[in-house]
Amino acid sequence: MLAIDFGPNDVVVISGRLDAAQSAAAQAFLDQVQGKVTLDCSALEYISSAGLGVLLKTQKRLMAADGKLRLSGVSRHLRDIFEYSGFDQIFEIEPAR
Amino acid sequence: MSARPQQRRHSARDLETILGVTSALAAPFDLMTMLAEVVSAAKQVLNADRGSVWLYDPEPDELVLEVATGIRPVRVPAGVGLVGACARNRQIINVPDCYADPRFDPGVDKSSGYRTRCMLTLPLVDHKDVLVGVMQVLNKRGGGVFDDHDEALATALAAQCAVALQRVRMTEAVIEGEKMRQELEMARVVQMSTLPASMPALPGYDVYGTFKPAELTGGDTFDLAALDQGLLVVLGDATGHGIAPALSVTQMQAMLRMAFRLGANLETAFKEVNNQLADTLASDRFITAFVGMLDANAHLLRFHSGGQGPILHFQAALGTCARYKPTSFPLGAMRLSALRPVVTLPMQPGDILLLLSDGIYEYHDAAGQQFGETRVEDIVRSHHGASMAQLSETLMDAVEAFAAGAPQDDDITVVLVKRDAAQTGIHRSFERSFDSIESIFAFTADAFARQGIDPEFLPVVDLAVEELFTNMVKYSTMSSAAVRIDLDVIDDGVQVTLTDYDVERFDVTQAPDADIELPIEQRKPGGLGLHLIRRLVDSIEYEYSRESRQSRTTFRKTRAGRPDSGGAGKKGEEHARD
Repeated sequence: MLAIDFGPNDVVVISGRLDAAQSAAAQAFLDQVQGKVTLDCSALEYISSAGLGVLLKTQKRLMAADGKLRLSGVSRHLRDIFEYSGFDQIFEIEPAR
Repeated sequence: MSARPQQRRHSARDLETILGVTSALAAPFDLMTMLAEVVSAAKQVLNADRGSVWLYDPEPDELVLEVATGIRPVRVPAGVGLVGACARNRQIINVPDCYADPRFDPGVDKSSGYRTRCMLTLPLVDHKDVLVGVMQVLNKRGGGVFDDHDEALATALAAQCAVALQRVRMTEAVIEGEKMRQELEMARVVQMSTLPASMPALPGYDVYGTFKPAELTGGDTFDLAALDQGLLVVLGDATGHGIAPALSVTQMQAMLRMAFRLGANLETAFKEVNNQLADTLASDRFITAFVGMLDANAHLLRFHSGGQGPILHFQAALGTCARYKPTSFPLGAMRLSALRPVVTLPMQPGDILLLLSDGIYEYHDAAGQQFGETRVEDIVRSHHGASMAQLSETLMDAVEAFAAGAPQDDDITVVLVKRDAAQTGIHRSFERSFDSIESIFAFTADAFARQGIDPEFLPVVDLAVEELFTNMVKYSTMSSAAVRIDLDVIDDGVQVTLTDYDVERFDVTQAPDADIELPIEQRKPGGLGLHLIRRLVDSIEYEYSRESRQSRTTFRKTRAGRPDSGGAGKKGEEHARD
C-alpha cells in the first residue's frame, strides 16, 4: 500500500510501495504541489518504472515553472534504481542517513 | 684353361635367362602365381623336366608344398627326407641317382607314375638370411645329371627366387592386415549405428548415454529407449578383440529391442536373449550386459545384469552411492534355465543410476594405475546437481586428465539416468490486471519467507516481476488468460518465470534501453522497466512456443551474479549496454 501526504515543514512524505497499481494515486497528489518541493522517501520501500514516471512528470511540470522536486532519505536500493535510470541527473538526491 | 671358355659360354646365355627370370619374378603379387613363376624359371634355367617349391612354415617347423588351389597342401617336417634335410642344413643337395639315395621317398613316383632319376634340392634363403623354402628340380632334360655348373646357376637363381617369394608373402600379409582393418572399421560402423541417435525425453527424468570407441577393439554398446514397458536401459560389453565383439553386441542390442517390441517383460527378454546368444556365440565368447526397465511413474527401476558391474545408485538423500552386483553370469556364456529375482531400485528425487563400462574403471595411466571406482563416486557426489550430459562430460574429462596421454585401450560407455531433484518451486496464477499487483507482491514475499530466500533480493524480484507483468497486461490485450508466476530456489539465489498464455510472440528482452542521458524535457517515462531489469538481475531469457501460443520470460538473481547490485551503478555503464 502507499501513503502520500504533507508532513512537517511542507515536506511531502511518501511511504509504502510506489508501483503500477499505486502510481495514479501518487500522481494525483503530486499534481497539486508547487514550487520547490522535498519528497521524503525514507519510508518508501519500493519503486518501479511506473513510480519513476510519476516523479519524472512532476519534475518536468515543476521545472517549467522554476520549481523542482528534491528527494531525501533515499535508501540504498532506491538509489540504485535512480542511478540505473539516470534519475540522479534529473533530481537532487539526498541519501538516507 | 678348359673352365674359362665353358664359363663364358654359359654366362652369356645363362645371364640372359636369369635376368629374364628376375624381371618375371618382379611381376606377380599373389603367392600361387609367384610359385608357378619360380618353378618355371628353375626349369628353364636348369633345363630340368620338372620342379617344385616347398615353403617353410616356421611355426610347426614344416615344409609345405602347395599342390593346387583348393587341394590340401603336402607337409613335411624339417629334417625329414631330402627336402627336410636341405631345409635343416641350408645346403644344396645334388642326387644323381635318386633310387640309390635312402633319403628319397619313391612313394610320390608310385602314385604319379613319374620316374625320378636325378634331383637337385636347394634352400631358398632371402637376403636377410631367412629360410623361405626349398626348391627341387628333377631330371635334367636330354639325359645326364646336374653338374657343378648347374649347382652354381641354381644357387644364383635360388637367391632371386627367395627374395621374390618373401616379398609376395609379406605383401599378402599387409593386404590381409588391411582387409582386416577395413572389416573391423565396417563392424565398428555397424556397432555405432545401433546406438540411440537422440536421448529419449522422459518427464521428470534426465537420461544420457555416450560411447567413445577405442582405436582398434572393443565391444561396448548402450541403449536408452522409451518403450511401452518403460524406459529401456542397456549397457553391454562383449569380450574379445577384433570384429566379433563389435558384431555380437550389435546383435544383442537388436535382439533386446526386438524382444521388448514384441511385448516381452524384463525376465523373458533377458533369458531368451541369453539363450539365443548361448546358442549362436562362439563358445569362448560372452557379453556382460545390464538390462533395466524404468517405470517413470512408480519411480522403480528393475534390472537384470549378466556380469555387468558395478552398478552404482547415487542416493541423493544420503549423498552416497550404493553398489549392486550382477544378478547372473554374462550373456551367452551358457543357457539359463532359472533366473535369480530381479533387483528393484527405488528412484528417489535426485537419485542417479550410473552404468559405466570397464573402459572407465580400468583405464590406466602410464604407471599402470587404474581410474577405479572411488574416483567415479567422488565425481558423482560433487557433480550430482549437474545435468547428466554435463556429468558425463565431467567423467570423461576426469578420465582423460587421469590418463595424462596414456592411450585408450577399450571402449568407454557412460549411461546415466537421473530422477529430477525435488521441485522446491512455488507458483501461482494472477488475473491479467493492475489490480493483481498487490497479490503478486504478497505471493513473492510469502514465497521468499517459506523458502528462506535472502530478503535482500525481494525488491529486485518484485521490480522485475512488476515490470514484466505490467507489460503483459498492457500489450497482450487480446488474451484473457491468467499469467502464471513460478518462483524457484536456485544455488545462492532465485529464479522467476512468468508464463503468458494465448499471446503473440513479443520478446521483451529485445526491447531497446531507455536513453537516460537525454535532458529532462525530452525524457519519457516509458522503456525504463526493462532497462532497470537488465541492470538488476543476473540474466533474463525469453521463450515462445508457437504451438501453445505461450510466452515464457525467465530471470535469475543470485549473490554471485551481480555482487555490486546492492551498491551504486557506475555512471556511463549504461552506454556500454545496447
